[in-house]
Amino acid sequence: MFSLFIENFRISISAVLANKMRSLLTALGVVIGILAVTLMGTLISGLDKSFEKSMEFLGKDVIYIRKYEWFGDKEWWEMRNRPNIKIKHADVIRERSQYAEYVAPISEWYTSVKRADDDINGVRITGTTDTYAMISTAEIEKGRFFSKTENRSGSHVAIIGKDIADNLFENENALGETFQIGNYTFRVIGELEKQGKFLGMFSLDKQIIIPIGTHRRLFTRRGWSGINVKVDGTQLDNATEELTALMRQLRHVRPTEDDNFALNRQDPFKEQYSMIKLAIGGTGFFITVLSLVVGGIGIANIMFVTVKERTREIGTRKALGATPKMILMQFLMESITICLFGGLFGLALAWGGSLIINQYFPSEMPINLALTALGLSMLVGVISGLAPSYKAAKLDPIDALRYE
Amino acid sequence: MSLISLKDIYKIYNVGGEEVRALDGVNVTIKENEYLAIMGPSGSGKSTLMNMIGCLDTPTTGLYEFEGEMVNDMDDNQLASIRNRKIGFVFQTFNLLPKATAQHNVEIPLIYGNVRRDQRKSMAAAALESVGLGDRMHHKPNELSGGQRQRVAIARALVNNPSIILADEPTGNLDSKSGREIMEIFDALHEAGNTIILVTHEDYIAAHASRTIRLFDGKIKEDFSKVA
Ligand SMILES: Nc1ncnc2c1ncn2[C@@H]1O[C@H](COP(=O)(O)OP(=O)(O)OP(=O)(O)O)[C@@H](O)[C@H]1O
Ligand SMILES: [Mg+2]
Repeated sequence: MFSLFIENFRISISAVLANKMRSLLTALGVVIGILAVTLMGTLISGLDKSFEKSMEFLGKDVIYIRKYEWFGDKEWWEMRNRPNIKIKHADVIRERSQYAEYVAPISEWYTSVKRADDDINGVRITGTTDTYAMISTAEIEKGRFFSKTENRSGSHVAIIGKDIADNLFENENALGETFQIGNYTFRVIGELEKQGKFLGMFSLDKQIIIPIGTHRRLFTRRGWSGINVKVDGTQLDNATEELTALMRQLRHVRPTEDDNFALNRQDPFKEQYSMIKLAIGGTGFFITVLSLVVGGIGIANIMFVTVKERTREIGTRKALGATPKMILMQFLMESITICLFGGLFGLALAWGGSLIINQYFPSEMPINLALTALGLSMLVGVISGLAPSYKAAKLDPIDALRYE
Repeated sequence: MSLISLKDIYKIYNVGGEEVRALDGVNVTIKENEYLAIMGPSGSGKSTLMNMIGCLDTPTTGLYEFEGEMVNDMDDNQLASIRNRKIGFVFQTFNLLPKATAQHNVEIPLIYGNVRRDQRKSMAAAALESVGLGDRMHHKPNELSGGQRQRVAIARALVNNPSIILADEPTGNLDSKSGREIMEIFDALHEAGNTIILVTHEDYIAAHASRTIRLFDGKIKEDFSKVA
């Protein structure tokens, strides 16, 4: 039986190669189907990775007190008129909140930095306190965070992100070196590890952290501010409730009025993300199923043509002793080979595509999915080849031999 | 014991409500090592009879015994097995696989017979040698002359060492020189103990055979054996 298998495989390969263009066109549906399913898988794996990293950056036990809601149905112009978040409230929260473990005020401003001939525009300059190090998940790769004293004294010290280190201090040790933020000279005391992009949108590495006092004196008023509060992860809802009450009190919100601030958390991202994922997955699934069905019909059609074209061959083979099952297997194999050929072609394209996706999110083509996709294309081959192969198997040998 | 025994064989087609009797009550027995020619006008049922003997076709009514076994009762798989092991076909139009080499063409019955690869190769080579094509084993059909193609087909028919070789107008598509060469091969095969049945329109071809059956409208009109 093994030699028959080899023979069938040989026939299939030579039939596919003899009609390369026809085989490719026939398998186009399968190609697209496999391409869709694997690219979708790659995309989702990339999104998952990027999302997880981004969520890690936000931290699941950190509440971000901000002027604007990250999610929700409030219009931005409604929120625009809210008073800014006051940095000094950070101290009050630290004193009064039961749930807050660490509290760090944040000021942000975007400006350019330079050193000698190199400059970078639009760098996020974060002013904060030494507590920030306890809240942020970003590790210091080299050097250190600034101390309480440096914070209080308003020193010009900076912890720089990976992009800054790579661009301003290429192949150099940045620690102890100086550079300009805007017109002011700062000294590098620490370097952050690489963090990548936040949800694939903006780089988290194009960032510089400096003491908040320094930041306010040099840059702010125009930038925005907020307070990051790290709480016990199991008490997130209680903490949110408590902080809401506290903030309302601090900002003199009357009982009849809505909150004029936002307590942002990581979880709505997750909900949003699973919906996006569902949408991508659903679309991919739909395209895949549709193209596989259409492709399958095309393959069934071309297999009927093949059986018709090779009626005399089938008759000859039967005369030489092929059983109906052997003929069935031969054409089934051919249909599977076309699909496998299409599947491999699709995978090759998907592999190329995944390299492109990889430019935007670090991602990889999931091997399991690739194998499943190949299995799926074989299944399409079996299903669409079944009727034509059965027809070939059932041909009357005499009719087949007489066929003109 | 007879190799083949056909009793009251009828093959009736219904074409547009009209009955066509391709075989109309045929009785024949064929013994081992016979050399039989079937003759008769076009449409007289020669091919139908041949296909019946080759287990490709089944009679409408009548009994067919092959080596003492009832062919009527066999299913598709048993018929395929008989065709594979016991019968060698040679067609007027050669019916070779165009993309396969001569050797591979000859291997086909062995593949269906589940013969191991190395054994298959040597058997195919030997069969091609015996028809004088030892030097053409790796040629494809389109690289061979008509006579050579038919010799490949004969090699394919005899490679399994069948009980009987059936040839339906084997020289019909060949010039007379190639035809003579083919007939020499059949003569030699008969000489070597094979049973051969061939269909022909030509008396000089039929003259090679030791027995001639003439069909007319599906009936045997004459069954004549040369005295040895
Ligand atoms: N599938 C079929 N349907 C209807 N009639 C058929 C069929 N096959 C054969 N016949 C008829 O049976 C008769 C015998 O056909 P057959 O092919 O056996 O003739 P033949 O003697 O081989 O003729 P030739 O010398 O032309 O090859 C013919 O009249 C033919 O029309
Ligand atoms: Mg005929």
